[in-house]
Amino acid sequence: MNLNIEAQKQNTYDAIVVGTGISGGWAAKELTEKGLKTLVLERGRDVKHQVDYPTMTKDPWQLPHGNKLTEEELKFYPVQSRTYWVNQANKHWWVNDLENPYTEVKPFDWIRGYHAGGRSLMWGKQTYRLSDLDFESNAKDGVGIDWPIRYKDLAPWYDYVESYIGVSGQAEGIPHLPDGKFLPPMELNCVEEVFRDKLSEKFGRKLTIGRVAHLTAPLPHDPSRGVCQSRNMCDRGCPYGAYFSSNASTLPAAMKTGNMTLRPHSIVHSVIYDEQKRKAIGVRVLDANTKEEIEFFAKVIFLNASALGSTFVLLNSISSSHPQGLGNNSGHLGHYLMDHQYRTGAEADVEGFEDKYYIGRRPNGIYIPRFRNIGNDKRTDYIRGFGYQGGASRESWARGVAEMSFGADLKKSLENPGPWKIGITGFGECLPYYENKVTINADKKDIYGLPTLNIDAEWKENEKAMRKDMKESAAEMLEGAGFKNVRTYDVADNMGLGIHEMGTARMGKDQKTSVLNKWNQVHDAPNVFVTDGACMTSSACQNPSLTYMALTARAADYAVSELKKGNLK
Amino acid sequence: MNRREALQRTALALGYAVTGPALIGMLNGCKAAPELNYTPQFFTPEQALLIAELAEVLVPKTDTPGAKDAGVPAFIDGILKEVYPQADKDRFTKGLTDFDEEAKKTYGEPFATCSTDEKIALVKKHHEDALSKSSGGGSVGWWRAGSDGGKPFILEMKELTLLGFFTSQAGATQVLQYNQVPGPYKGCVPLAEVGKAWAT
Repeated sequence: MNLNIEAQKQNTYDAIVVGTGISGGWAAKELTEKGLKTLVLERGRDVKHQVDYPTMTKDPWQLPHGNKLTEEELKFYPVQSRTYWVNQANKHWWVNDLENPYTEVKPFDWIRGYHAGGRSLMWGKQTYRLSDLDFESNAKDGVGIDWPIRYKDLAPWYDYVESYIGVSGQAEGIPHLPDGKFLPPMELNCVEEVFRDKLSEKFGRKLTIGRVAHLTAPLPHDPSRGVCQSRNMCDRGCPYGAYFSSNASTLPAAMKTGNMTLRPHSIVHSVIYDEQKRKAIGVRVLDANTKEEIEFFAKVIFLNASALGSTFVLLNSISSSHPQGLGNNSGHLGHYLMDHQYRTGAEADVEGFEDKYYIGRRPNGIYIPRFRNIGNDKRTDYIRGFGYQGGASRESWARGVAEMSFGADLKKSLENPGPWKIGITGFGECLPYYENKVTINADKKDIYGLPTLNIDAEWKENEKAMRKDMKESAAEMLEGAGFKNVRTYDVADNMGLGIHEMGTARMGKDQKTSVLNKWNQVHDAPNVFVTDGACMTSSACQNPSLTYMALTARAADYAVSELKKGNLK
Repeated sequence: MNRREALQRTALALGYAVTGPALIGMLNGCKAAPELNYTPQFFTPEQALLIAELAEVLVPKTDTPGAKDAGVPAFIDGILKEVYPQADKDRFTKGLTDFDEEAKKTYGEPFATCSTDEKIALVKKHHEDALSKSSGGGSVGWWRAGSDGGKPFILEMKELTLLGFFTSQAGATQVLQYNQVPGPYKGCVPLAEVGKAWAT
């Protein structure tokens, strides 16, 4: 008995954070900086900034097989490789699909990185605010439930996060894509400037340089991070720390406080609910190395295990008070899974500009903010909208395969950059549907003997109608801008491939229809906060990471103030 | 150790029996007998010689290095061994054999030992034929090349050669230009100020 009490004391912290990705890193930083002794649990290995980026400075000839995976290596990634993006330079950041199974009731690409930093090491860095167009949309359309917050609730936290992580962008004064605290914008190239002007002139639409979490100027508060060098080798980890990742930014900040204990190889599989105290008191961990079961305790628990990871933990937290999982008194936990649809759009040839080129591999592109179902631009075939990402560039040596020459002539011609091309691809909003869901599959176990997830979700009519327009409008704009030989494409994608999976533990005003309240607290367990993508009530069409970070900082601030008031015990 | 012994030792080490006419062909090639500058792990010595000579026809040494200088033959050997699934290995090898058979039929000897003019003529014939059959001469696809079984051998070979060449240090830095750390992006620069195409 005494031994148990002693062990419990040793394993007790002020706060526990589950996960170290883009939102977990923020929870760790905020809670530790506010003085909480915080245990940060990461299911995978530790990844130290710079030290653990084995390929960060490799030149193309130092990577085997032209950066392609071997057939043997590819066997580990039957799902991850659906991105066509797993290669020699970044293979260590993707989960081994064989060790981390799930069940695709309908095709769903679950793309994951299980290590410190999570997907913040490999993310696209596109950083956009949501606006009241998004926060009010469910209520106005009568779809799903209303968000319990509005833009004004989040705006100061967007400011706070952007100022800290460093976001490069151009202020445009677009009401539904609010400007942020921007570092200098990256440059458009010559062809993109023309496209911007033509879009404005012919369609009255905006084109702006992508807003990205890359430093284009030093950060006075964080001299350890340097300015972007346009290497575009970001997915290997950046030696300059020029793009934001947990590893380069929030985890070192949390470590510096002396209040963080980062425990890797710690798979959290459930929250401990104390029936006497009627509250959550900690988490159960399976040590991935020793297979030992360990319990950790804290007053406050932040779940940041990624949308489906956090929802899994809640669903798997069975107690007599919560037989369907913690936070599932509403019966809505696991439902309303969303993602963004993309991989449809158009590309075109660009005449002229042969005497123009660029220097650097810009890890960014152009952004065309949403224009559909705004103002007078009403659609009758679908609600909500989409943005476009893309860019113009000159063709590389790869064009040589299809050229009629070979030998010395081909070699000579490839010394010059090829013709300009331009392309845009849509990123479309997905509505929340009760039927799009995840559930626990107790019959299929992972290599640790833990149950797994069934994922049962699909695009529906609104997404399909929007998708058609994403393709057609792309072609219309490229043609209208005067580009030649416009070609549309639609590489039909499964849900999940947007790697923006979200929903499944949504925020709401009413605990009968939602899992979290407006502070991201689980209705049934107010000292448990979920601030990753699981909390999203609608998906909007913007890249979501910035919103997760802002919600996390806001929730951490609230949690600490509630703790101080004695409201969370 | 003379050349014959060297070849036989290599062959033994690799578990290939190189005997009889094939060996004589390699040794006695009418022109300067080509040599391999690496030890193939996938190809037989005869196949490896063809690959090396064909890669060099596609990207020859000029005032800058060619495919052989850049290690392209070993690169292709590695891709075939490690990256290609069995069906693609078989298809590629069949394409290679058919290509060599045609060289033998037309010029009386394997492609590797044909004269430079003969090599170029044969490549030209195959290359023009393949491109004329591809859809409108447009892009024949790059990264998915070789996985659908629909690609003519010569174009697959051209893809592999260009990939190996322009990701090599010689191809990237001496034929094109490469800078791992370009510094802040400049979006609109006169080509004359930049010079050659970027390797990546």
